[in-house]
Amino acid sequence: MAKRNKLITDFYECTVNQLMDKRVWDLPIIVEKEDIHHVLSVLGARNHIWVVKDKESKELVGVITEHDVLSILAPKHFPSYVFGMPDVSSIQHGTAKIAEDVMASQIINCKPDDKIIDALMKMMKYKLRRLPVTEDKKLVGELTLHQLIRKYYGATQYHPMIEDEEG
Amino acid sequence: MITTELVNVLFLVAVALIFARLFGYLFYRFKQPAVVGEIIAGIFLGGIVLFVFSGQQFTISNYIIYLPRFDFQSAGFILLAEIGILLLLFISGLETSLSKLKKTEKASSFVAIGGVLLPLILGALSGFLLGFTIQESIVIGLIITATSVGVTVRTLMDLHVLDTTAGATILGGAVIDDIIGIILLAFMISIGSLMDAVWIGVRIAIFFLIFLYLALKVIDKILDLGEKIHLPNAFLSFSLAILLVYAFFADKAGLSGIIGAFVAGILIGQNVRSSKIIKDVKTIGYGFFIPLFFVWIGSSLWGGAITDISTYTAIGILALVIITVSIISKIVGCGIGAKLAGMSSRESLQVGVGMIPRMELALIIVAAAISHDLLTGNSAHQILVTTILLTIITTLIAPFLIKATF
Repeated sequence: MAKRNKLITDFYECTVNQLMDKRVWDLPIIVEKEDIHHVLSVLGARNHIWVVKDKESKELVGVITEHDVLSILAPKHFPSYVFGMPDVSSIQHGTAKIAEDVMASQIINCKPDDKIIDALMKMMKYKLRRLPVTEDKKLVGELTLHQLIRKYYGATQYHPMIEDEEG
Repeated sequence: MITTELVNVLFLVAVALIFARLFGYLFYRFKQPAVVGEIIAGIFLGGIVLFVFSGQQFTISNYIIYLPRFDFQSAGFILLAEIGILLLLFISGLETSLSKLKKTEKASSFVAIGGVLLPLILGALSGFLLGFTIQESIVIGLIITATSVGVTVRTLMDLHVLDTTAGATILGGAVIDDIIGIILLAFMISIGSLMDAVWIGVRIAIFFLIFLYLALKVIDKILDLGEKIHLPNAFLSFSLAILLVYAFFADKAGLSGIIGAFVAGILIGQNVRSSKIIKDVKTIGYGFFIPLFFVWIGSSLWGGAITDISTYTAIGILALVIITVSIISKIVGCGIGAKLAGMSSRESLQVGVGMIPRMELALIIVAAAISHDLLTGNSAHQILVTTILLTIITTLIAPFLIKATF
């Protein structure tokens, strides 16, 4: 029993940098001015897309999930009162044209030096399944719940938690 | 101890909620905004209450029957309606994203400014010419400045023109002129309550300094606390508490609680967790307090209770003039703004016509002006009735006019 407890403590103490997916070239990334149809085509295969300002700087400006697309794909209905700035982006009305129109721009992120325990708490607090890893706003990787589950399970099966630097 | 008056308010609230929804649904079925139905429910109920339940008694054989006394203007009902206004402005603030606001097209700002200046000037001028005081005339001007986002967005959506330049400009303009309207209301109320301009400036500055500073330093921590306390909806409770505190202090600073509610909404809206509470705040607001505000304002139509013909004639003339001025000044003011921003003549006309509907803010401004004694007595009642008619008529005719120009 003691061993199992130590395992989870070790897991918590790992840094994001050690467990995150660093293959940035493989992540679903598009630029904010990208056409909405490209967004749809990527989301047909992936669960989410990171939106960056431009490919060079990789400055993270938003995230699009399946749920964001649901809100533009389904017919628009407004409640009986509308105040403030109504969200009018919709495919039906032609008001969702580029990635920027759909993305959520308030991003919850984590840093490479953060501990896994803090990342998990963030996921819990904000009900998220993935966090972008950023360094000065630049996207350097992602940390998904899926990965964390795999890494932890692997460790219970006597695989090393931290692999040697991967490709 | 709960008094009879308060118990009667309970029943009145129940009836108000049911009728607001029934009339709202009727209007919705006829493809009209539900809000109009709710105001008309208020007019309907207000009339019944005035003529049947204002303390009459009658005898059947030897029994004297006292009808219960109901009053929409009782303190209890007004408090609920006022909370409705605060929630309305709070939601408005929560839904206003400063970053998106910055991205709205330049044309929208031109349209909003043109659409505020001309109605304000022409409205005040016509009020003055009809014999109102300068202060009352300015209130009239202010009432007709703010376009209703809710009505325009629905109409544009029904016509499938949201994606046109004119459609996007109208929507942006309506959002911006709401904000300008709220700021002007703040100035008007503070200047009305004390004539010393320097002192007002100081008070407004203190309010914003303290509360923006507070917002940056403390709100996050308070909200964090709300989150850490593992009690259901603690975060929501804390947000509502912040809203009420801001409203209270804004009022103490001479700014009207409405401004405080709006500022609180904008500040909490910047917090990344706000998306979690927006839904709950809307449930509370839309489900309970906000319909009560619309019913209450509708019922206030009967407030003057003066029944001679000359009063009706005066109101009729005022309403006719103000509604005409409100329509023409928006078309011309916004049209000029659109033209200056480089839109074609046809598009400018579309934008001007699209900005005609007035609703929430016009009612809020008139209610605030009355509760701050900027409007009193007979002229308060005349202007209030005119505003109610203005909102109903502009909202009902605007879709036809918009359809004709697109």
